[in-house]
Amino acid sequence: MWVNKQTILTIARKDMKATFSSKKVWVPMVIVAFLMCIVVPSCMAYFGIHFDLVGTSSEEIEKPLNSYIENFPNEDMRNTLIALPTLGYKFVYFFLTFMMIPFFLMVAIINSMVTSSNSFVGEKERSTLETLLFSPISIKDLFLGKVLASLIPSLGISFATFIGSFIIVNVITYPYFKVILYFNSTWIILMFWVIPILVLFNIILNVLISAKVKTFQEAQQFGGILVLPIVGIMISQASGMFFLSPLTLFLIGAVLLAGNLFLIKLVTKFNNRNTLFQSQIH
Amino acid sequence: MVIHILKRLSKKYKIIVNDYPSLIVIKMDDGYGGRNLTNIIEVDKVCKQYNQREILKDVSFTIKKGSINGLLGPNGAGKTTIIRLLNGVIEATTGTMKVMGFDPKLQGDEIRKRVGIVTESASLYHDMSAWDNLVFFSKIYGHADTKRIIHLLDQFDMLRFKDQLVGSFSTGMKKRIALAKALLHNPILLFLDEPTNGLDPEGINEVIHYLRKVNQEEGVTILICSHVLHQLETICDSYLFLIDGKIVENGTMIQLEDKYLKEIKLLVETGLKPLTSPTYKGCIYSRKGENQLEFLLSTKEEITPLLTNILKETWVHNCEITNRSLEAIYFHIRGGNVGE
Repeated sequence: MWVNKQTILTIARKDMKATFSSKKVWVPMVIVAFLMCIVVPSCMAYFGIHFDLVGTSSEEIEKPLNSYIENFPNEDMRNTLIALPTLGYKFVYFFLTFMMIPFFLMVAIINSMVTSSNSFVGEKERSTLETLLFSPISIKDLFLGKVLASLIPSLGISFATFIGSFIIVNVITYPYFKVILYFNSTWIILMFWVIPILVLFNIILNVLISAKVKTFQEAQQFGGILVLPIVGIMISQASGMFFLSPLTLFLIGAVLLAGNLFLIKLVTKFNNRNTLFQSQIH
Repeated sequence: MVIHILKRLSKKYKIIVNDYPSLIVIKMDDGYGGRNLTNIIEVDKVCKQYNQREILKDVSFTIKKGSINGLLGPNGAGKTTIIRLLNGVIEATTGTMKVMGFDPKLQGDEIRKRVGIVTESASLYHDMSAWDNLVFFSKIYGHADTKRIIHLLDQFDMLRFKDQLVGSFSTGMKKRIALAKALLHNPILLFLDEPTNGLDPEGINEVIHYLRKVNQEEGVTILICSHVLHQLETICDSYLFLIDGKIVENGTMIQLEDKYLKEIKLLVETGLKPLTSPTYKGCIYSRKGENQLEFLLSTKEEITPLLTNILKETWVHNCEITNRSLEAIYFHIRGGNVGE
């Protein structure tokens, strides 16, 4: 057998226990997810429907927004938006369906970065990496255990917040929109294709980076670069440069999957105790 | 297969069988704790370079199975590098090594499965309890056995602290847990890198006591790296002196004494009051206290006749060779002054 399942699970369990026994680690992760994926959409839904959020300036933006909707590339969405009675409803519907996507992507990235950048560097800072390298476990098993320990909490929090958001937002909006939000091909592809692959990509990249760098701060700085593409998506979504259609999302996932395969190849190249030991232990 | 059959026979007939791949040693239990003279470690002309710096230069030595060995040398001499090389976590630039018959470069995992190690820092998870640490490492070594963990915690007098976080332990307690961790998988060989660093005298005595116990009761071969010489004197069977990346001397205490002790300083607590100064029966002496005389002898063989002569005249309560300490020999080897 080419991997030792027992060892991988032992390392993953130990790391997850460490993550959830330290309030400093898991509380910020949960709070960020709760704020960005539950509080923001819920408030947007509630206040957008019940209060005139767009306000007195509505006339100024009504024209450009209506022309924007008329030119919308997705026909179903265009028709749904046109059918909605007020500008406020249109804005809420548009925000919850499209603008929330980068929020979920962002939470997945941030959480996986926190757990994964802690992996090797955390072991090094506690001087336990040396002991692990002195034990009869393969570097591959060590990497896989670390990846699993980051993947499970990150995905768990993403899925839990998605379910929470799905329930709360739909309870607020269904009586008005008569449509179940987050329940379309875009969101299903996002949650069950793009996010798992993105989280995995981010984790493998971070585990690789943290095996190369020497301090936790360095690892996080490198990891932070990964947030940039998500900010790019957010801006392009808001400015109408391009929309995350199911096909675009599927392609993003496919590219990330290819990236994952490339990273895994790099990990196997890095599968050398001597190199890891000399770069990390002094 | 052969080893398997021999092992089955060994249970029946009390034969000791070593499961090294390249050598099968069969030895009837001789009642001496299973000690034999097989080499468990063989290092031949090993060099290690790192960042264009030569850390080890042409290092060769052997370690006998069942023995306790001290690897001595100043800080930065290359002691830790030797331990890392023997465990196969770093690779030698040139030279060959065999640990239990395995090549560390190619069969590192086979060595690591059979070796216990205590590194300089205790290397435990501070946010986990002693028990959780030991359970985790026992699984990592593939020897998840709670009975063994309880036994070791009991041996190291840590059973009552098993549920406390390691982060709350004193240095001595952490060292004891680290030792228990190193012994979880019943290792054949134990490496200890500066095991007494940061310990108070009581803690040092405890560690030395436990190491002797492990060696005697479980037959574990031990290699201790240290620069604190007097702590090792009471425990080691033989010594390796590593200075500037070179093994400059090795041997048992007796061998080293024979080689380096050119004169014997014998301090005797006695009522003798010699009249003819500065010699007594041909032996040079100096007075060190009211009832203390220090004799300068050329060999140990002169001790018995000297004491016989003194005892004919008066009482003797104590006698001790004062310049035979490991430290004195170490300074002889380094070419410095003998510390007294």
